[in-house]
Amino acid sequence: MSEVKTVALTIDGRSVRAVEGTNVLRAAAAAGIDIPHFCYHPAFEAEGSCRMCLVEIEGLPKLELACATVVREGLIVRTATDLVRDARRAVLAFLLAEHPLDCPICDQAGECKLQDYYDAHGRFPGRFVEPREKRDKLIAIGRGLILDRERCILCTRCVRYLRRITGTGELGVFERGVRAEIGTYEDARVDNDYSGNLVDICPVGAITDTDFRFKTRTWFLERRPSVCPHCARGCAVIVESVTGYPLGPGERRVFRIRAGENPAVNGHWICDLGRAGRRDIDEGRLTAVTARAATGGTVPWQKAVADLAARIRAVPGPERPARIAVVLNSLMTCQELALARRIFTEALGLGGVFIADPPPGSGDGFLLTAERVPNARGVLEAGFAPRLPDLEALARSTEVLIVFGPYLAGNFPAGTAAPALSPIAVKYLFTSRAVPDDGLADVAVPVAVPAERSGTYINVDGLRQTFRQSVAPPRGVPSEREVLVGLAHGLGLNVGEPDAG
Amino acid sequence: MSGQAFRSLPPNDASWHLEAYLARGGYEAARRAVTSMAPADVVAEIRKAGLRGRGGAGFPAGLKWSFVPQDRPGPRYLCANADEGEPGTFKDRAILVRDPHRLLEGMIIAAFAVGIGTAVVYVRGEYERIAGRLCDAVAEAQAAGFLGRGICGTAFGLDVIVHFGAGAYICGEETALLESVEGRRGQPRLKPPFPAVVGLFGAPTVINNVETLASVPEIIGRGADWFTRLGQPKDCGTRLFSVSGAVRRPGLYELPTGTPLRTIIEEHAGGPPDGVGIKAVIPGGLSAPLLRADELETPMDFDSLAKVCSMIGSAGIIVIGDRTPILDVLAVTARFYAHESCGQCTPCRIGTSWIHKTVTRIAAGRGRSSDLDLILELAGGMKGRTLCPMGDAAALPLYAMVAKFRDELERAVGR
Repeated sequence: MSEVKTVALTIDGRSVRAVEGTNVLRAAAAAGIDIPHFCYHPAFEAEGSCRMCLVEIEGLPKLELACATVVREGLIVRTATDLVRDARRAVLAFLLAEHPLDCPICDQAGECKLQDYYDAHGRFPGRFVEPREKRDKLIAIGRGLILDRERCILCTRCVRYLRRITGTGELGVFERGVRAEIGTYEDARVDNDYSGNLVDICPVGAITDTDFRFKTRTWFLERRPSVCPHCARGCAVIVESVTGYPLGPGERRVFRIRAGENPAVNGHWICDLGRAGRRDIDEGRLTAVTARAATGGTVPWQKAVADLAARIRAVPGPERPARIAVVLNSLMTCQELALARRIFTEALGLGGVFIADPPPGSGDGFLLTAERVPNARGVLEAGFAPRLPDLEALARSTEVLIVFGPYLAGNFPAGTAAPALSPIAVKYLFTSRAVPDDGLADVAVPVAVPAERSGTYINVDGLRQTFRQSVAPPRGVPSEREVLVGLAHGLGLNVGEPDAG
Repeated sequence: MSGQAFRSLPPNDASWHLEAYLARGGYEAARRAVTSMAPADVVAEIRKAGLRGRGGAGFPAGLKWSFVPQDRPGPRYLCANADEGEPGTFKDRAILVRDPHRLLEGMIIAAFAVGIGTAVVYVRGEYERIAGRLCDAVAEAQAAGFLGRGICGTAFGLDVIVHFGAGAYICGEETALLESVEGRRGQPRLKPPFPAVVGLFGAPTVINNVETLASVPEIIGRGADWFTRLGQPKDCGTRLFSVSGAVRRPGLYELPTGTPLRTIIEEHAGGPPDGVGIKAVIPGGLSAPLLRADELETPMDFDSLAKVCSMIGSAGIIVIGDRTPILDVLAVTARFYAHESCGQCTPCRIGTSWIHKTVTRIAAGRGRSSDLDLILELAGGMKGRTLCPMGDAAALPLYAMVAKFRDELERAVGR
């Protein structure tokens, strides 16, 4: 590895080392000094148009842009002088003059740069008494995005994102002066699979998402990092769930999934598919054990797992390899797969361990991979062959079938899986999704979705990424790890894990 | 009735053709440069002549040429800035109409000096009607072998493209001009890099004002020493002064730099009409902070005007008579900059508009006592803090109007 060259500079009297070629804004941020900015975004070159990051640089007569000034040896920067404060206040005064005071109904409130900077650097009485420009406030620009031109501060992050990152260029700046505004060309709307990032990078509430508009307030949201499970890329995501008030039945827990930052994987972006994954967390969930031969009352998952263990124990040891089969999936974490290996392969000696995944899609050459599971490499690492069962062969010999994930039937022609598996006496399905009562399972046990779990995924490039639970599962829903540990205990196996029950 | 006094421009309107230009010694300087001078010597001669840019900023032309890196492969470009948008300025127009070949000859010499094969004349959209002659002159020069391949029998060649803007003041700013030529929205680029290093289509580019380039043939033809004997030591030669407003003979006057403002107004432009006094003078295009009547002795050169906190700019002199309310001047000025701000950076986009709205309200009789201080403060928020020089171009004159005519404006606000 080549040595990273650094230079020494002074920011607000502090000696700081910064990587050669970086700008003053980032060097200051690395030293814990926040220089306010709107138009600068680390994914793009300096734009220099918002003028919020002006700082003093010794030896230069005018204030200089922290975003556009490259660090050099001996540079002396001052970010907290009267002159700098005055310049920030002036920029805020200009922006706020033409900005509506609709924070109480603005979705960005609470995470708005304009609001935050006014709080930190402004706090002056408004003196704009002229008529404000009237602009369109509810413009559907495509993909569920709403543009509010009165809130827009014309930082052009959105325009630059669509030109430089997606290369689709749907947005541009039209008109000039105070009439300048963001818009689409003719009626060609924003139409690309990475459109949600526009909401993430808008520093104010000018671009909002209909999926989030008016649904909650940002200060109720708990933001936790996770890894996106919707393809093999393993993008960093932020899962934002409500903790600030008690939820009513059917209310959303997770309001948003946004892009996390990971330079080694996704930079600052995620695709719309990953973003829409918030629905998988709250919608269509299986939340209680369901049994075909239900005898009234809900069974806790622990009881269902104990029953399954009893069913397994009922099969004589030597017959287990032939009479018990397991279907796993590539959404399981490395830790869960390792547990599965110890229980099913090593302890029970099963030969029939299969992998059933959601069908592949097509890759887009950017982040989204054709593979639509996050841990296919983890499956291989755990020593499992990614193969599907022959359903008829399986049905001939199997007494107990244990399936993790709702994906098995989807790998066979529609309507064929359930009839084929009907001879099997005991069928347990562990799934996060509510499934139709189609005969595929006698007992369906709810499990957590990836965002509710902790573990490790190995991405398409072999990168191991460990993540922690970003939102708690619904009450009474275990993770697959808990299920496997419970099963091990039920089978009298020591898998080195605490009792999950 | 309008007046004129030219040293270098042909006296009548019919002498713009190549034939007439050749008859008065045209293209001799270009021939001499191309056939018998080294490019570096041409640059040195222009530097020695102390030719400062005639567009507004007054940057030494030879120094600008010398910034172009000569050790990189790939094209280099020359842009002649004919986006004469500065209010009160109409000198480049005269060159384009009366002497387009002199501009082309200056471009040939500049291109030869810097090693450029393609040049663009960026003509403001409002000049499309008068630019026919320029286009004809390009064709004439091409046919006569002064443009195109193998100029004057040498290996040097130059193609000139005439390109029209769409009527935006900001496109006179050199990097906005480049954006416009490239087919994009005309708005300034962040500097550095400067166009001499990264300019048109990313290539090193020289951008000179029309009058600057038109001054080059004489300097090469007669020598830098001749040029420096005209005008002031640090701002040499003659300039075309556009004089408009409250004078008897508004028009274009070519005079040595350093000529006192009063001489230009009184002696050449005939002074104000009977019964009118001079209230103020804008000395260098609207962006130059105005001078009071007691500042008219100021010599019209770069440094002398800097001393009185103004600038020679484009040398567009606007004389404001004492019957003109300064509030009207302020309103027109504020409206212009609000209208022409490209909208890219915050202080200019909203500052110009805010000031315009405030002045409009004062003019409507709804002024507040705090308005003048507010205007000064808003101008202060723009000054030195915008992405391109237009912030200063708007802030400084507005600031000067309020600061220098505070009493009159107080009365206007209070009425």
